[in-house]
Amino acid sequence: MSKLENSMEMIEAAFSRFGYPEDFLNEYDQMECLSGHRGRETFLVQRKKDGRQAVAKCYDRSLYDLSREEDPLKDLEHPGLPRYLERYENERFVVILREYVEGTPLSDLVREREMEQAEILDICRQLCDILDYLHSRPTPVIHRDVKPENVILQEDGKAVLIDFDIARTYKQESDSDTLVLGTKVYAPPEQYGFAQTDARTDVYSLGVLLRFLLTGSTRKNRNIHLDPALEKIIAKATAFSPADRYPDMKAMKRALQGTAPNARKLRRAGIILGIALLCAAFFFAGVKTYQYMNYSPFTEGSVPAYQSDPEMIAEAAAYMKEEYGTDLFDDTEELATVGLIRTVLIDLYGFDRDYVYGINTDMPQESPDYFLPWGYDDGQLFDRDPMVYVAVKVHDPSIVEDWSSLKDDNGEYPGERVAMAYAEKHGILEGANRPDDITVGDVALILYNAEKSFGK
Amino acid sequence: MNDNNQISTEELLRMLFLESSLDHLMKREGDSLTFPAFSEYISALCERRGEPPERVIKRADIEKSYGHQIFSGKRNPSRDTVLKLAFGFGMDYEQTQELLKVARKSLLHPKVKRDMVLVFCLHHHQTLVDTQIALQEYRLPLLGEGSKNE
Repeated sequence: MSKLENSMEMIEAAFSRFGYPEDFLNEYDQMECLSGHRGRETFLVQRKKDGRQAVAKCYDRSLYDLSREEDPLKDLEHPGLPRYLERYENERFVVILREYVEGTPLSDLVREREMEQAEILDICRQLCDILDYLHSRPTPVIHRDVKPENVILQEDGKAVLIDFDIARTYKQESDSDTLVLGTKVYAPPEQYGFAQTDARTDVYSLGVLLRFLLTGSTRKNRNIHLDPALEKIIAKATAFSPADRYPDMKAMKRALQGTAPNARKLRRAGIILGIALLCAAFFFAGVKTYQYMNYSPFTEGSVPAYQSDPEMIAEAAAYMKEEYGTDLFDDTEELATVGLIRTVLIDLYGFDRDYVYGINTDMPQESPDYFLPWGYDDGQLFDRDPMVYVAVKVHDPSIVEDWSSLKDDNGEYPGERVAMAYAEKHGILEGANRPDDITVGDVALILYNAEKSFGK
Repeated sequence: MNDNNQISTEELLRMLFLESSLDHLMKREGDSLTFPAFSEYISALCERRGEPPERVIKRADIEKSYGHQIFSGKRNPSRDTVLKLAFGFGMDYEQTQELLKVARKSLLHPKVKRDMVLVFCLHHHQTLVDTQIALQEYRLPLLGEGSKNE
């Protein structure tokens, strides 16, 4: 194994360059890198002496300001939150260790099996309790990153909310901190008067999570009909203006509790929902959709049950072909990639290549400096909302750069949300029902609708 | 021949420690493309190679009935078990990353020392036994002693 010895020397040399605290490395073995962001890496680690696993977040001090005095997350004590274990530090890194929670993230669970409505509601009610605990600390803690990946369901059905960030001050552009940081601690409302608004950021995220668990999509889809009571709760939780949302988690939990029907009612609602779905599918998308009915939106590699209007797509593709003399839209059922969008922007609309290919590599983000909100490589699949953003920006960039109509600051692609609101008002979304992994046909349809709307 | 191997190891390590390839790894990890089920993927691999799963399971030093449950999709393997399977298949670094991706496990990462030893062993087509010896020699947890999460 002399080759290994040689390589080990190189590995060791590279490791010392990384500069993690030595006492941390003496105590723990790094087992996996769970996530890596610039200056902030999360490892699954294992204690050498007894094999106990933990999650270690390593913060680069040159990017994050972590003063020991203000660490209110250290004292959090709730069965729905991973326990704080210990902290290591040297001049380059601060390493925070938390309990490793065994179980399955909701993001995996929805792929593995279908979840009953009752189970989903139970999880969301548990999350209401956990978030309420966080929001009612003396210094309210706003999680700000409630998403399926961050909720672990344990074997006994208990939900745990993970991924806390203790970093409060990101040393770069301060306006991007809502995007970069999952968690943000705000001063109490009586002092600054805006903590309430931020508790409602988590209300919003939980509403989106609830929709995702129930429908497989994070956006409202006309072809999927939910229990009206639940639809109402989600609509209220995800209202544009924080003032229209539930004021706090307790209120949202009360609303969710009101939806718990007895088993018979639930079965009946299920049957009615099934019939409604079937009728809606036939009505909106014709017989073609029937082929997709047997697929669950949660199954990997399946075709989403909701499709865009095939006739409108055919018309749009024919228009694009005639108008631009391109064969890019010939196969309307092919999945659209970032590469296709870039080709369309450069070849059809004449945008500058650098402007189209430029992206913020640190953090996906909208900007007047580059065309796309994200898109690392050309092979990535594209979704409807960014497509709408693109279609609007092609004709009038000032629309997606003016966020003044947004009353909240949930950090989620404001330009995209403005574009979606504009699109709904001006018919750009007409017939485009497919939210994620859109097809070449969807791209043609959205571009065609936009051209009609902007009067090209 | 040995010299050539040596050079390519160094190149591999250099590539892995470069910031740009780090980004590359993360981007790959962030891809939201859909993958086939793990059990289907490894079964198809066996079929393509004309090799029965038993042989792979044996080389991966996985208990027989557990191995068959993985191949039939009844059990989700832990990351360590996926890595053992990579050795069972005699995979190289790229193929192993692909396998981890399909299994939805963390990819081998240049900042994890144990992963780097595994990268070395995969690259040089070491057997699982040799790999375990190497891990032991460098006082790192053996494959099977880590990531209990299935």
